[in-house]
Amino acid sequence: MNTYTVAIDGVTIDVTEGTTILDAARQAGIDIPTLCFDERLAPYGACRVCMVGVMGLDHPVPACTSLVLRNDLVVDTKDPLAHNVASQVVELVLSELPGPPEPNTELARVAESLQVTESRWSGAKHEVAHDGRHPYLMLRHELCISCGRCVRACDEIQGAFALTQTGRGFHSNVTAGIDAGFRGSTCVSCGACAHTCPTGAISEHILVALNQSPGQISSSQGVMT
Amino acid sequence: MVALKELFERHGELTDDDIRSAARRAGLPESTVYGISTFYDDLNAKRGKRHVRVCTGTACFAATGGAHADAVREGLGLDLGERSNDGKTSLGEVYCLGFCHSSPAIEDGDCVVAGPDAVAAVLERRQQPAPEPHCKSLLDEPVLLRAGDYSGLRAALQREPKDLLDAVVAADIRGRGGAGFPAGTKWRLTANAPGGPKYVAANGDEGDPGSYIDKVLMEQNPELVIEGLALAGYAVGAEWGLILTRSEYPESKRALKSAVIQARRAGLLGEDILGSGFTFDVRVLEGAGSYVVGEETALMRCLHGLRGTVVARPPFPAERGIYNKPTLVQNIETLTNVPFVAARGADAYRALGPSDASTGSKLVCFNERFARPGVYEVPFGMTVAELCHDVAGGPRDGHTLKAVQIGGPLGGILPASLFETRFDFGALAEHGCMLGHGSIVGFDETTDVRALARHLIEFGVAESCGMCFPCRIGMTRANEMVQQDRELDRLLLEPLLQTMELGSLCAHGGGLPKAIRSLMNHFPDELRVST
Repeated sequence: MNTYTVAIDGVTIDVTEGTTILDAARQAGIDIPTLCFDERLAPYGACRVCMVGVMGLDHPVPACTSLVLRNDLVVDTKDPLAHNVASQVVELVLSELPGPPEPNTELARVAESLQVTESRWSGAKHEVAHDGRHPYLMLRHELCISCGRCVRACDEIQGAFALTQTGRGFHSNVTAGIDAGFRGSTCVSCGACAHTCPTGAISEHILVALNQSPGQISSSQGVMT
Repeated sequence: MVALKELFERHGELTDDDIRSAARRAGLPESTVYGISTFYDDLNAKRGKRHVRVCTGTACFAATGGAHADAVREGLGLDLGERSNDGKTSLGEVYCLGFCHSSPAIEDGDCVVAGPDAVAAVLERRQQPAPEPHCKSLLDEPVLLRAGDYSGLRAALQREPKDLLDAVVAADIRGRGGAGFPAGTKWRLTANAPGGPKYVAANGDEGDPGSYIDKVLMEQNPELVIEGLALAGYAVGAEWGLILTRSEYPESKRALKSAVIQARRAGLLGEDILGSGFTFDVRVLEGAGSYVVGEETALMRCLHGLRGTVVARPPFPAERGIYNKPTLVQNIETLTNVPFVAARGADAYRALGPSDASTGSKLVCFNERFARPGVYEVPFGMTVAELCHDVAGGPRDGHTLKAVQIGGPLGGILPASLFETRFDFGALAEHGCMLGHGSIVGFDETTDVRALARHLIEFGVAESCGMCFPCRIGMTRANEMVQQDRELDRLLLEPLLQTMELGSLCAHGGGLPKAIRSLMNHFPDELRVST
């Protein structure tokens, strides 16, 4: 494996060939906001919030799935075009939710870091539907932004394969088993889905009541982090 | 997915028990199979004993403005997606049955009826099969519309795989499925990729509304498709070829399967083909109703029987495709170029058109708005005006053409004032258009531009896979804007289109805005967009 030098916002760092731009930036201590990314899971490339500029390209690229494959890559995380796309995506996300982001969620933090407070676009939102059949896991479908993190956490971290994405397009969502609730599926109640969810769509009854997110709890039902 | 389709056919809908049974058969988790069942059109709308599907593709829209769908809805007393209470009849819509030469088209059970009489025929239950399209080559010697005779395969097997690979690179064949990516580059990447066994996949998911070129090739000339696929297998070192056809084209699957059986009997597929030591065989699989499955990573997922969502690249299929092995994915028409290159060489192929144009020849198809719709093989370099008027006979019945959409819904729309543009990859791109599949859908003075924008974005919404956010949410927001009966706010539309163009994971979300942009540029008044 070759080692390549990358300059990100003026900070240079050496990374091995095939490192993602996102990983390189994080190694350099530079924050790039993300929504569908979880470092425990394989990069997914769905949310398009991690867009960055690369010198020599006339269009921004997603940092999470773009690889460093040559020397002297120059990355600008503050690229205006990339910032436009990223913040507009977050605006679109806010437009599909019934209300402002739940406090203390990753979505709230990302919106804040991109300085998005409201959406210029409005229209259909996801229908409010709560699945509270599990003793402590709760699924609020209207908060789901189809980032796939819960499904991937269930598959890749726990190996329980209890969750799936459903539908397609704007109506994509998630469910457990054959739409049977967590208890009616192969769910082992590990909480990995709730832990990774960036919006609080999957959370815990008690936390919903307390207005907290699982990410704030240090021991989240035995999830290996 | 095969199991789900069988169970759906049997029951007209899927029950939880069906999902469990399919999961057991496939060895997949129940949740995964449930997710698959909610993705594909064919597995969703409940079906009655008689299932009617109205084509709402772009050619049918250009023909009637959507009136045919309304008439069938009224006539059957059912909404799109509805099944009658007695379970006898159900009505659905489909984005393109590939009978664009004879719009509007309606599928009634197994029979497609098409043409001005189609609505009456369906309501009177007259099952009169639609006419097949007229096909003609303008070349002295047809390349793509000649019957496949496996002469290219015979010639290639006399030489090394590397010789064929070099010839395909030298011929500079560009992909005919949409993006125009150089075929030789893909072949070389797959051939050089470490690991195996390798696969070649033919993308027969010709979902672009208005295009029926691959349909004609698969149904009328399946031998040439199979020969092209076998050559691809030989060049990259694959023993298996897979062909994915659309469920909207049932005849394509039948024709290809039958041609595969004949080729096996003739020793042209199977073990040690023609004593060359090359072993290669082909399987034909069918999708279940999803446009985006025509994108290569979604195609891989569909071939695996999974939800047909797009996957971020890298890795590319050439590194990790079918069963995570190096896979060459190539569109049907692209593959049918290869037998000529194998038999006659790259120079002969390059000589088919003018030296300053793209290499080879191209199939184009015209919709029913033209006097002589059909599939034509043309050299590159003609102007759009020559194609529309000299080849397809101009607009029918004294109408006037106001614009054409070339290559499917993900490219720009060319107004009549720009018809002198050359029909070529580069020249069309200069006007925000693309060669794409080579379909030419003409709109005449009866087409309302705002209604066309609605039609295109409704298609975008219906077929968004839901993977990336710009397309998943953006299409819906764009649709809401064009559905309202008021002026479009450019200040809201521009950044929305920008987000989709630059942010989308695949050409569905990235390309559809180009069509809307060209309507904004060329028809701002009719579109009613703010200045």
